[in-house]
Amino acid sequence: MNDVMQYAIVGLATGCIYALTASGLVVTYTTSGIFNFAHGAIGMVMAFTYWELTVDRGLPEWLGLIIVLGVLAPALGFLLERLLMRRLHGATVSTQLVVTLGVLLALIGLASIRWSPTEPRVLPQFFEGHQVGILGVNVTYHQLVMVGVAILVAAFLRLLFYRTRLGIAMRAVVDDPELASLNGADPDRVSAASWAIGAQLAALAGILLAPLVTLDIILLTLLVINGYAAAMVGRLRSLPLTFAGGLALGLAEAYTIKFLPTDMVSKVRPALPIIFLYVVLLILPQARLRAGRLVTTRRVPKVASGRESLLGSGALILVALVAAQFLSGSWLTVASAGMVWALIMLSLVLLVGYAGQVSLAQMTFVGLGAFAMGKFFGGGSLLGIVAAALIAGTVGAIAALPALRLTGLYLGLSTLAFAQAMTVMFFKDERVFGYGGRLAVNRPSILGMSFESDKSFFVLVCVVFALAAMGVLALRRGRFGRKIVAMKDSPAACATLGLNLTFTKLSVFALSSALAGVAGCFYGALRGQVGSNDFEMLNSLVVLLLVTISGINTVTGALAGGLTFGMFPKVQGWLPEAIGRNFSYLGAGLGALGVARNPNGWTSDLSPIGDAIRKVLHLDRGDHDDPTSIDLLESSDETQSGEEVRELARTSS
Amino acid sequence: MSVRFGGLLAVDGVHLEAEAGRVTGLIGPNGAGKTTLFNVITGLQAPTEGRIFIGDEDVTNLKPHKRARLRMARTFQRLEVFGSLTARENIMVAAEICNGWSRDRVDPKQVTTAVLERVGLRAVADDPVDAMPTGTARLVELGRALATRPQLLLLDEPGSGLDHNESDVLGDLLLDLAGEGMAVLLVEHDVELVMRVCEDIFVLDFGRLIAQGPPADIQANEAVQAAYLGAENEELVEHEPEEALA
Ligand SMILES: Nc1ncnc2c1ncn2[C@@H]1O[C@H](COP(=O)(O)OP(=O)(O)OP(=O)(O)O)[C@@H](O)[C@H]1O
Ligand SMILES: [Mg+2]
Repeated sequence: MNDVMQYAIVGLATGCIYALTASGLVVTYTTSGIFNFAHGAIGMVMAFTYWELTVDRGLPEWLGLIIVLGVLAPALGFLLERLLMRRLHGATVSTQLVVTLGVLLALIGLASIRWSPTEPRVLPQFFEGHQVGILGVNVTYHQLVMVGVAILVAAFLRLLFYRTRLGIAMRAVVDDPELASLNGADPDRVSAASWAIGAQLAALAGILLAPLVTLDIILLTLLVINGYAAAMVGRLRSLPLTFAGGLALGLAEAYTIKFLPTDMVSKVRPALPIIFLYVVLLILPQARLRAGRLVTTRRVPKVASGRESLLGSGALILVALVAAQFLSGSWLTVASAGMVWALIMLSLVLLVGYAGQVSLAQMTFVGLGAFAMGKFFGGGSLLGIVAAALIAGTVGAIAALPALRLTGLYLGLSTLAFAQAMTVMFFKDERVFGYGGRLAVNRPSILGMSFESDKSFFVLVCVVFALAAMGVLALRRGRFGRKIVAMKDSPAACATLGLNLTFTKLSVFALSSALAGVAGCFYGALRGQVGSNDFEMLNSLVVLLLVTISGINTVTGALAGGLTFGMFPKVQGWLPEAIGRNFSYLGAGLGALGVARNPNGWTSDLSPIGDAIRKVLHLDRGDHDDPTSIDLLESSDETQSGEEVRELARTSS
Repeated sequence: MSVRFGGLLAVDGVHLEAEAGRVTGLIGPNGAGKTTLFNVITGLQAPTEGRIFIGDEDVTNLKPHKRARLRMARTFQRLEVFGSLTARENIMVAAEICNGWSRDRVDPKQVTTAVLERVGLRAVADDPVDAMPTGTARLVELGRALATRPQLLLLDEPGSGLDHNESDVLGDLLLDLAGEGMAVLLVEHDVELVMRVCEDIFVLDFGRLIAQGPPADIQANEAVQAAYLGAENEELVEHEPEEALA
């Protein structure tokens, strides 16, 4: 009995923190329409800052709290809104996602530079060592503080939203920004205020949570996923439901730990937040298709024609052959790695760029591909590549299945949950990558040709990329491509034309995952071995961000993004140690902030050059009726019932 | 049907029929509930009460794409064009989607050519739609709807953004479509166009049906005049949503 109570107290106290985190998310989301993926990172940075002020520099706690909660946190929230989020009104969900993920990674990078992760730090609890007995259970003062703060915040938010002009304006902006501005509320001011409050709530949660777990950058950042789940319970709208969700999750977590056998706990515990998030997302009612969203479309870059892509691929292979003669040693590795990344990013061009479906789990499929290649058919055969495509494609479809009802943001969250779950429950399992967690992957020998040497492997990867790029472009020009682009531009219109969106989404997910799986074979072969760290969710974010920075709508963007990422190890070597070690988060994160300026990426700024080349090569002639397009997933039953056509063509003269 | 948004009864017990072979008008001041009705009919919005039939089939619980397959198509007041595709591709993809579910298959290329000709978009067929003026983009939406060979066509303000001449041509096209046996339901603020092409007109105000009948009756109807006069005063402060695509 006492035990049960003890766990209830623990559960409620942590539940209060989840509720705090989640309410911060809800406040910013409802007023600015942007889901702040960086929420946890803000809390993390503020907790570290508080540690530095009070523990490291010895300021009194109250002064530290005032500085962090009263000044720094709201200032950070305000600046983020002013500099970035304001530009995102009317941007697509994936653009919003990439920018806030950029903030997340940048903050992780900056924090790692400032507070070296190798040095242990402890943030003491409030009133450390004090506790009281309530109903025969020991409750620490810190736990009381957590509950008390949550109650105060709930009361404060209630008052804010129902009793103050600002709060009422916030609610009005939620319902209809256009009308709210007519009524005199300034949506910009309201949105800035909500980001400041959101950052304060994140800081509060971070400071209260840090003493209970270790002061660890990644851990604190990701703990917010629990907050995501609670926020979903309130459907990102209702604060009371959000609080209830937070408490329920806290309790559920505490009791799962109590009632599960101890050897299971260590395994399941890290995955609990993900499982909660997944479950909540699954029981969410299906989002209605909405017409009349105000999404500002950006001119999308031109799609290369059959001849152009053939020429481009040929040129790429030529360059590769020449480059292979001149490159050596580490530069050859850089080039090969760049091409492998480009191949991975190509799978995102198909999924995110063309079809508008967000995935934060692409490295998971890369991992599955590497796994299939290493495990089956001798670790480096053509059959291994086929197996990789099949396994990754199938898992991709299965993973997408429950997510298909979801759109935009919710879909992104569910893929994030999937990536985390796969890392914890699959890749980290010893049976998967073998003892020591490393699986050997060989370079393939194809049709009796060995690609063991670095030079030949580089050329092989270039050829594979060229072929894959031509395939993706042909797909884009064909029926399937038109359909997925239409689905991205207006799901509502597609549905009213009779398109089954579910099936279309499923097929594009499967295709993209299969391509990522193939890329995984080469990823593994390049390195010789793979481990679970390679396929963590944060790496998927880095890849998504980098391809978005260079241009997620185009094959050129994937190529440029891949080569950029390939250069990262080199650049790291040139930088001071502390910065270099965190360069991938920092570079990707800071770069992604530029996406707020141009969602098509920097390669789209080069399109005049492309046009000039087209002119010189006389490629700019009419390119519809393109015979090189691929028609996929369609029966090619071309019975021509001319009668119908004539019926339609009978014009109005 | 009735539709409630929180405290607002946007559609209040409206009974509406669109018959095959004629253009039926649906008019009313801003905010009367016309677009909401369209959303309910096409399944993008669930009715709070009431039922929707296509022919004899009760479709109230069908998903939007299932309803469309009963040969219903629509256009949107706030454009829902496929902005990254050209006009030709917009129409082509509709024809291809239709081929995916329709029993009688037609070559999408032929349909596309015929439709482009019919809605008068041949000259701009290969321009990307997100660069087009609103009026032209509305024609793309009309063409896209026609490419699915509908029997019931719902048009939400197809004439806004067109000049006088173009709107005349649109009127002719609508009459033709009706002449071929299609049921056309037209929401339109251009009274002249409505009076010319509609045989039957339903008038909504604040979600309620205030009149129904042939154009001559509607024009003489006092309740209708009162509704429009009342709305006219409000219209001074009313602000039209930005519809530009760029
Ligand atoms: N999703 C929604 N949530 C809340 N209210 C809504 C929603 N959609 C429409 N409304 C409200 O319902 C009423 C009817 O709107 P509707 O768009 O159907 O009018 P309309 O007749 O099409 O007007 P217009 O001529 O301006 O297009 C309006 O008061 C509108 O503000
Ligand atoms: Mg309307």
